[in-house]
Amino acid sequence: MLDAVGPSPGAPAVASIAAAPAPPTPPVPPAVGAATFRFFGNEEPYWRLMIRGAVLLIVTLGIYRFWLATDQRRFLWANTEIAGDALEYAGTARELLIGFLVAVAVLVPLYAVLSLAALGSDVVGQISGLLALVLLALFGPFAIFRARRYRLTRTIFRGVRLHQTGSAWLYSVYSILGWAVTLATFGLAYPWAQAALERYKMRHTFYGDVGGRFVGSGTRLFLRGIGLWLLILGPLLASILYAMASIDGTVVAEAVERGGNNMLGSIESAMPNFSLALMALVIAFFWSVIAAGLLYPAFQAMMLRWWTSGLRFGDMAATSRVRTGQMYGLYLRFVGYSLLFGLAAAIIGVIVGTLVPLSALDEEKFAEIDTWTQIVGVVAGLIGYVVIMLGYSTIYQVTVKLRLWRLSFETAELTGLEALNRVNAAGVPGSAFGEGLADALDIGGL
Amino acid sequence: MTRSGPGIFYDGKTSARHTVQVELDGAGVLVRAARGDLLARWPYGDLEHLSAHDGMLRLGRVDNPVLERLEIHDPELAAAIDDLAATVDRTGASERRGRTRVVAWTVAAVASFVLVGIFGVPAIADRLTPYVPTAVERKFGEAADAQVRAMLDTDRKGEAFECGRGEAGKEGRAALTRLAGRLEAAAFLSVPITLTVLRKPEANAFALPGGHVYVFEGLIDRAQTGDEVAGVIAHEIGHVANRDSTRSVIQAAGLSFLFGTVLGDFVGGGAVVIASKALLQNSYSREVERRADAYAVELMTRLGGDTRALGAILLRIDGTNHPGMKLLLDHPDTKDRVAAINMAPPTKTADLLNPLEWAALKRICAGP
Repeated sequence: MLDAVGPSPGAPAVASIAAAPAPPTPPVPPAVGAATFRFFGNEEPYWRLMIRGAVLLIVTLGIYRFWLATDQRRFLWANTEIAGDALEYAGTARELLIGFLVAVAVLVPLYAVLSLAALGSDVVGQISGLLALVLLALFGPFAIFRARRYRLTRTIFRGVRLHQTGSAWLYSVYSILGWAVTLATFGLAYPWAQAALERYKMRHTFYGDVGGRFVGSGTRLFLRGIGLWLLILGPLLASILYAMASIDGTVVAEAVERGGNNMLGSIESAMPNFSLALMALVIAFFWSVIAAGLLYPAFQAMMLRWWTSGLRFGDMAATSRVRTGQMYGLYLRFVGYSLLFGLAAAIIGVIVGTLVPLSALDEEKFAEIDTWTQIVGVVAGLIGYVVIMLGYSTIYQVTVKLRLWRLSFETAELTGLEALNRVNAAGVPGSAFGEGLADALDIGGL
Repeated sequence: MTRSGPGIFYDGKTSARHTVQVELDGAGVLVRAARGDLLARWPYGDLEHLSAHDGMLRLGRVDNPVLERLEIHDPELAAAIDDLAATVDRTGASERRGRTRVVAWTVAAVASFVLVGIFGVPAIADRLTPYVPTAVERKFGEAADAQVRAMLDTDRKGEAFECGRGEAGKEGRAALTRLAGRLEAAAFLSVPITLTVLRKPEANAFALPGGHVYVFEGLIDRAQTGDEVAGVIAHEIGHVANRDSTRSVIQAAGLSFLFGTVLGDFVGGGAVVIASKALLQNSYSREVERRADAYAVELMTRLGGDTRALGAILLRIDGTNHPGMKLLLDHPDTKDRVAAINMAPPTKTADLLNPLEWAALKRICAGP
């Protein structure tokens, strides 16, 4: 619409203008209003992608995961449109594979040294177990930070790459400190720890030469989330305090030492509230687990809203208007699919069970079957198990992960889009070492 | 032949969006700005088909340091480029071919990993075991000795867990030491043997690195002659001489690396990894037991004992232990083992323990 009128055919104006540096063509203004994010991807092609991927994972004993992850990301990125332009994922499976091989080359000698040290009975042996734990704890966030850098640098928007600076080791230390404080405060410090980590990450995130920021407030998140926290952990902490107040440890220890048949009875007579405290603990624990499961979608919606609304890139700002109900709908759909799948698996299991004589499961009878039949039986059982596990994982990827991606984008809005036109290219692609390390350590799924 | 249509161009230096006119001539794609100046000229052979959603054709240039992108929404223009450029294939056929190649290569890789697991790992462990110094083995043996005793001593007998320390078992202890000494002398080992009888009712015996051999009370109870006990001890000495514990540690590490780090990293893969490791480790240990049996036969021949005694006690014990799955049994089929043992000609000259010693040995676990 804003195209300047082109030169009339045969006009010599083209030559003279071309001699001088060409003036920039007027850019098309970005779409304004609510529809700044769009997602085109449908579920059917994604189902096909994931199911085919699951089959190939089994056939290749997992080696195919690099290709599957790349295909997944290409699908997600390419179908996401921001202000009229679609994202591009420029990563390749080969990069992921090489990153993994490099990570293995780093980890295997480390594992070897730690295992050998652990075999010794002296001080070095005992420390090495602790050392292994500390190293793994450090490597985890390190890998995640580097993997994030890889994914950012392989994301291209309007011909300009995103990139990430910052030290992965520093982030790793911050992350461990954050988790230590969170655990020590039973989760109360989580909002501030998360805010600090997101600030570090976004401060070092760039779109071209435009830097990112995170302005989400830990206090805000705390105030929004304290209700959830009280609902889930409140009864558990209360019952723990009650137990600590009413149970005398030395009395219990004495009764255990004396032993005998009426251990509980003797404890009861000494401390009448013992069984009550114990029951309260058990009930509170189950309550926590169930409440955590039921409230998880609410928690996710809250985190998504808070995180999205805190993102800034130069003059651009994001907000999220995702509703908790949408998140619940998403997870309920997942539960529904899982139940259907479980039902199908159970029906197949029953059919197989009637065909195969169940006496084969008796150990003595089993030993009489010849070795080859044994092998076939075990392999069939193994394949069945893997199919079920991969089935659930595939259902999760499509019904939850894909929908979550779409939901996050479609409920988000960008303001200050004019800034989108004035970004200059910057940044170099990062290596896939972090991705490989995360894969080798089994953290942060592809 | 020229075709042209609208497109969107990004110059890779700024994020500005340029509406352009795309022209296709015989050699390549021409990108003209609205005012007519040429922004890019890409030969067909250099075109790179980039990832995009179905409604758009996204093109770049191969090995371009600048991230120039050309996006074409016009389906006819996209189809024309598809026809003219060999590198652009919107049907997905070349992608499918590529994926088939990838899958074929990875399946081949998996097959070779499995072969390495079956043949390569034991061979490598065989090569590496001699390089482990005996001092290191002895250190591991000390640590393992303490842990194993603690694990097996479920009634917390402590010192009394070992038979033959008290007065009642002293004679049996002496008889056993003499027998072990004769076996050791004929074996020419690099480590001394430390023989211990443990107060457990199972009929079993095992060896730890560094020369620690353990025999359970149950085995002595079920033995009918001194040569049978000697045969079992000779078998365990075989494990020590062959450094089987160290080898199995190296094999386990190699297996862990193959099936664990490299393979099996998918949901549910853990079960595959455990099953493969169990199957392969079992096949390794069958070979190990066969070799220890052969060593025992050789040792008993040197001492003039009954080479078939080991087979006799194995058969007797086999009936009592739970049958279980052949595949996962750590020891190969007992009948196969006994058949192999009995292939050696019987060269018995005399009982290895005289009747007095044998009676004393039977009483080794009497008393505290």
